Amino acid sequence: MTTRRLFLKSSALGMFGVGAAPAWLSRALYAADAPSPRKKILVAIFQRGAVDGLNMVVPFGEKSYYSLRPNLAIPKPDRTENSAIDLDGFFGLHPALGPLKPIYDAGHMAIVQAVGSPDPTRSHFDAQDYMESGTPGRKATSDGWLNRALVAQKDPSPVRAVSLGATLPRAMRGQNEAVAIANLNDFQVKDARGAGTFESMYENSLDQVLNGAGRETFEAVKLMQSIQKQAYTPENAAQYPNSALGQDLKQIARLIKSNVGLEVAFAEMRGWDTHVNEVGARPTQGQLANLLGQFGSALAAFYQDLGDRMADVSVVTMSEFGRTARENGSRGTDHGHANVMFAFGGGIRGGKVHGEWPGLEQEQLYEQRDLQLTTDFRDVLGELVVRHLGNSRVASVFPGYEQPKFRGIVAG
Amino acid sequence: MARRKLVANRTPQQVLPYDLDEAKLYRAIYSNRQLEEQMADFWFNHFNVYIDKGADRILTTAYERDAIRPHVFGKFRDLLEATAESPAMLFYLDNWQSVSPDREQAGRRFAKRKGKQARGLNENYARELMELHTLGVDGGYTQKDIIEVARCFTGWTISQPNRGGEFIYNDRVHDKGEKIVLGVKIPAGGGRDDAEKVLDILARHPSTARFISTKLAKKFVADDPPPALIERMAKTLHDTDGDIRAVMSVMLDSKEFFSEGAFRAKVKTPLELVVSAARATNAQVDFAMPLATQIAQLGEPLYRKIEPTGYSSANAEWVNSAALLARMNFALALTANRVAGSKVDAGSFENDPSAVARQVLFHDPTQQTLDSIQKALAQKEPTPEMVVGLVLGSPDFQRR
Repeated sequence: MTTRRLFLKSSALGMFGVGAAPAWLSRALYAADAPSPRKKILVAIFQRGAVDGLNMVVPFGEKSYYSLRPNLAIPKPDRTENSAIDLDGFFGLHPALGPLKPIYDAGHMAIVQAVGSPDPTRSHFDAQDYMESGTPGRKATSDGWLNRALVAQKDPSPVRAVSLGATLPRAMRGQNEAVAIANLNDFQVKDARGAGTFESMYENSLDQVLNGAGRETFEAVKLMQSIQKQAYTPENAAQYPNSALGQDLKQIARLIKSNVGLEVAFAEMRGWDTHVNEVGARPTQGQLANLLGQFGSALAAFYQDLGDRMADVSVVTMSEFGRTARENGSRGTDHGHANVMFAFGGGIRGGKVHGEWPGLEQEQLYEQRDLQLTTDFRDVLGELVVRHLGNSRVASVFPGYEQPKFRGIVAG
Repeated sequence: MARRKLVANRTPQQVLPYDLDEAKLYRAIYSNRQLEEQMADFWFNHFNVYIDKGADRILTTAYERDAIRPHVFGKFRDLLEATAESPAMLFYLDNWQSVSPDREQAGRRFAKRKGKQARGLNENYARELMELHTLGVDGGYTQKDIIEVARCFTGWTISQPNRGGEFIYNDRVHDKGEKIVLGVKIPAGGGRDDAEKVLDILARHPSTARFISTKLAKKFVADDPPPALIERMAKTLHDTDGDIRAVMSVMLDSKEFFSEGAFRAKVKTPLELVVSAARATNAQVDFAMPLATQIAQLGEPLYRKIEPTGYSSANAEWVNSAALLARMNFALALTANRVAGSKVDAGSFENDPSAVARQVLFHDPTQQTLDSIQKALAQKEPTPEMVVGLVLGSPDFQRR
């Protein structure tokens, strides 16, 4: 492996020219205790709207799954595209998630079933808020778990925490610098004269809120200039779908490969609130199938594009709660409780569906309608924070949750 | 011209959202009734529907015009009723598909006509009605209440939604049993009136008065409004049987509204930013779609908040790098006449930067902003549009 110094010279610094290098980068270059530039990276993906986890990872070995969902249930695996893809003889992937199967088979993708927030709310807004703050039931928390997962540093990279989109999600807000980027190429003031003046206005502004955000912005802008000069071509023949998530993940891959100090990233996909017509003519078609198709192909392209670099990267997916075990009256599902999460990456102990399965018999359901929770989402995120990111202070990342029970999803 | 190009080869259904976007912006920029426009935006956002959800593409126009606008200063109960029976809302939150779970009662004919599968209750509207439209999430309802409210609303549906259908009450699919909503018994056999009783209970509930007052104060006063003000507003709503004009008067006349803590406490939303920029520069807008596109790029596409929560009015939404850069770029583009359809006559501004700033901001700029502009001017011959653009992109202009 190249030395850190050589590596820095050949990447970001090389593109800048030494004179233009931002202070943090040159300091990182010469500081003896500077952290390795190839940091571990955690990418969090939020499926907003509460995805139907029971159709995402199908418990086809469970009889009541089929009696609860006469119109919606994905048929048992029969090796056709109209059935679940067998994972372990009991669970199967929705066929639209086929692109993820090779990652699972390679042992790089772990699935956690019956996972979620212990808070009983079925409000999208509250549940998302709790999952992003990392403190279920506590509304007063002002920052997000992904921001707290960052270890305070001297001279941190201005793009150590990046979310894709026009707004900074709750999970990323907090003390540590975090930037929202809608599109890497547009991340600049498109008029050179204006850029300098705006920078000076915001840097000197006494408006504390706008001053802070402005400083972070212009530091990140300088760093982005090196990336913007080069066109990006995904590697390993990866083909990102044109969907918003596909394009967001492509930009995250680009940031990772640019070695600009990214540590945590956030992207989201919307539209999972399938109260009506979740399925089409067949249960394997229609609205949910289309969404999962976009989701799976975007994740698979990211994995493929990063190739060996996935050794440093973990991706985790989450959604605010699951949906009713029983289908509703309009070929859809209403708001439920526990759900499913994916984690994949080079360091993930995959090829397995983790977590205890609570069953779907009437008496096994939460409030007699939803999948019971057997894993707290903080167990999954906490393990990634500790064992992948290397931040051992899990109690400050998830205050009030002193002892997460790690499920062994990160190879030790 | 530009508009003709845009709408060529489009179906009428595709053109509808453009018309809505444009109409909203023309009103927002040129109407003399600015508070009314603010309120129309507030209430639409409160009772949000998403224009890209199926039939809502054709139902949203009438929704805003007939359900929202007539009531923005009216009685909350009327506004609630108008949204509850609007086809746009019935479609958006799926109530039009919700039928009595009791299949026998719903009748064979119905099940047969609709084809293959049994249908039943859909909780979506009932939940959001209480969580987002009236009581608030902590307003004291339970999952049981949600189911009972959903039962009351069975039969509130739409005739032919994809042909611009109208509200109808279909008694055949209504759940005819007794219901208990928030402890109030609604006797069996009430028919359409079941839901009217629910709306009565919710509209007059103290949690609703507090929830609505808080939301108004968060929008118009500060992210963290003074509790005493909210109490007075909630009491007004209660005492006047939900008179929105009265509660607005209390808020706008309050000492809290004019206090230091509320002075420029809010960061403009994307809509406010774009509209205030057009107004401050006396822009002549002949074609507003490009402005709507700008608003979308700033993060709040008009009529396109997919979730029923509507957009948050909190400052934290907009204080981030992507949003700030987009605002600076918009400011420079608008004043350089690079936003198609809008024309700014920079020559109409005075020469002196601090005078320009006063013209645009309606108050003195901060020293920091003025210094930065003057430093830029010292280096290079300034163009008037550049100075105006710099003021529009300054921290000073981001607040209202």
